[in-house]
Amino acid sequence: MSSLIGFASLVLAILFNAYLIFSNFFIKNNGKVFNLFIRTSSVLTIISFFSLMFAYVVSDFSNFNVFQNSHSEKPLIYKISGTWGNHEGSMLLWVSILSIYGLLFSFTKNIDLKFKQETLLIQSSIHILFGLFIIFTSNPFLINSVIVEEGLGLNPILQDPGLAVHPPILYAGYVGYSIVFSQAIASLLNHNKNKDWISVAKKWSLISWTFLTAGIALGSYWAYYELGWGGWWFWDPVENISLMPWIAGLALVHSLLMAKGEQLLKKWIIFLSILCFSLSIFGTFLVRSGILTSVHSFASDASRGLFILLIFFIITGFGFLIFLLKTPESSKPINFLFINKASALVINNILMIIATLTILLGTIYPIIVEVLTNDRISVGGPYFNSTVIPIMIPGFLLMSIAPILSWQTNKVRNARLYVLGFVVISFIVLIQSYFSTFNTWGVLGLILGIWIILASCISIISSSKINYDFKLLQKINPYIAHIGVGVAIIGITCSSVFKNEYELNINEGDKFQIENTMISLEKIEMTNEINFQALRANFLIEKNKKIVARIKAGKNYYPVSKMITTEAGIFHQWYRDIYFIVGDQKDNNWFVKVYINPFVSFIWVGVLIMVLSGFIGISKR
Amino acid sequence: MKSYLSYKIVFITIYFIFLSLEIFANTTLEEKVKKLTLELRCMTCQNQSIYDSEAEFSNDIKKIVRSKFKEGKSEKEIKQFLVERYGEYILFKPLLNYKNWFLWAFPFILLVFSLFFISYKIRKN
Repeated sequence: MSSLIGFASLVLAILFNAYLIFSNFFIKNNGKVFNLFIRTSSVLTIISFFSLMFAYVVSDFSNFNVFQNSHSEKPLIYKISGTWGNHEGSMLLWVSILSIYGLLFSFTKNIDLKFKQETLLIQSSIHILFGLFIIFTSNPFLINSVIVEEGLGLNPILQDPGLAVHPPILYAGYVGYSIVFSQAIASLLNHNKNKDWISVAKKWSLISWTFLTAGIALGSYWAYYELGWGGWWFWDPVENISLMPWIAGLALVHSLLMAKGEQLLKKWIIFLSILCFSLSIFGTFLVRSGILTSVHSFASDASRGLFILLIFFIITGFGFLIFLLKTPESSKPINFLFINKASALVINNILMIIATLTILLGTIYPIIVEVLTNDRISVGGPYFNSTVIPIMIPGFLLMSIAPILSWQTNKVRNARLYVLGFVVISFIVLIQSYFSTFNTWGVLGLILGIWIILASCISIISSSKINYDFKLLQKINPYIAHIGVGVAIIGITCSSVFKNEYELNINEGDKFQIENTMISLEKIEMTNEINFQALRANFLIEKNKKIVARIKAGKNYYPVSKMITTEAGIFHQWYRDIYFIVGDQKDNNWFVKVYINPFVSFIWVGVLIMVLSGFIGISKR
Repeated sequence: MKSYLSYKIVFITIYFIFLSLEIFANTTLEEKVKKLTLELRCMTCQNQSIYDSEAEFSNDIKKIVRSKFKEGKSEKEIKQFLVERYGEYILFKPLLNYKNWFLWAFPFILLVFSLFFISYKIRKN
């Protein structure tokens, strides 16, 4: 029953949108009827999504999608998250979030009516394209042809609280760029008469960027504790795909910030808006077509890939075509000879786009080579580390001096203080690194990170009088975001350069010492949980003969899908993580790998600061 | 203007001091093995390097790499050997050959292109 409601409301939503677009050519809709149609269609799409979720929650195995991806013994949270833990459901989630954005945008006040309606019409067209995609190639409401009692279960690796919320948040980021895209196109169609779209676009692009940041961080944190490889970023194709719209979106947010007062860089902003959404759809295509093998590609099906590729070409082609036909008149030129915030931001924007395009090429290059020459090659972490990081470093450097630059003139404030600070930090880090292990990237990263934090702090102190209220928070918000970046850079540098690892073969009751911490393997136990069997090694961590913590690490066996997952045990301290992985048993000994990841928590703290600052920025009028 | 320039000079000097220091550093056998195996793909895993993986395949390759280094083979020779045996797919860092030149040149092409763009804009003003 719920499948029928879901399918019917999805079809109705598409029809409503189609009627709206069609009728717009013939009759002038008044605002009220227009809004009614948009909102009805949005609500219908959301109803469709919730009826699928309902089918999952009550384990309605007459629905083929539920049968294939759920199991009645799963905990409730994984029944809910099972809704988007498969190709069909995740595409329905994609379209539902598209509708939610449209719904929210339809409530925006104080903007030009024509601009608003055109934005929503473009949004509706995207909705129709993806709605048809769902109905024709990935319908989650198919009826199971045989009557069954039990489902096949959800991929165990996805049964994790972090991953349960990762897709909706990430999609809120990806799909949010649709509204930025629609606004950019609507503004082009309006011959750029509308001046206030920049402030509207700023808000929506910041919302998307903030959700995308949170989504990527969640995915990365999940990879850290669930994959059990000791790292948190692997330059996996799927990670690269999420990073591309993120960097392009970062460039967009900064450009919009700069365009605050005047009509500067309009061409560039529209280009970036189109690029961000194109990259989002391209990412959807690469992941969903099954060209890339990863945990995200649930099922590969050539027709789906082709369909999304078609949608990608329609939307991107349409976007860039309008851009070329109706290019805005060139705005006031920026003087690159000036060393000010504007030119620093433009150079940073260029660097970000170079980084984005490099990641894009690196990600699809193996596919291109395989198609052209039939050879298989890999483009992995070492390639990206040696290209993307050097491209980004001048950008971080510019970022650290940005606070002392002024917006318009060539003047540099407090320059002496900054140079002095930079030299002092460099020498402290250099001396410190001589007493520990020396590494060029490590030293460079530490100097940059500390310097960005300090420079931002100096600006906060020197730019504001002491009165603590929310307005001040909004004023210093950019510096807060930059402090977050600095903190994250320190975390990234330390955890990747100064990581230590130890391999041990031990038995129950054995003790070993790692970096002045005593660790003992107390016992190994097997337990039966609701939907899996667990093997856990209990580690006791002692420091100065006092018990500090007990950590469990091990593996899970999921009988329904016959899969084993690694469950890393992590002891968090503010300055390091002790990370345990338990391997196989050999000759009565257990293979145990211990990683010491210094300052890894700084990455998540830094990202959290960025996300919070993103929300503060959104709340700004 | 002046202080910005001095800032730049200070940074560049420090950077080159660092770079030159690392060249003199001696690397042990295990460090060499780590550096190389981090750049190799575990063919039986999903996007994991041989160094990070504990799979049978990875442990075999680690042994091979270690013994080849002991024989006095260079990193390049070992890579050559592995590519002949398993194909280029094993290298996470693609070789600089006719197939991949575009991949490696691309960032520089973009950089040169944007430099031209900026200088064009400056001249236009």
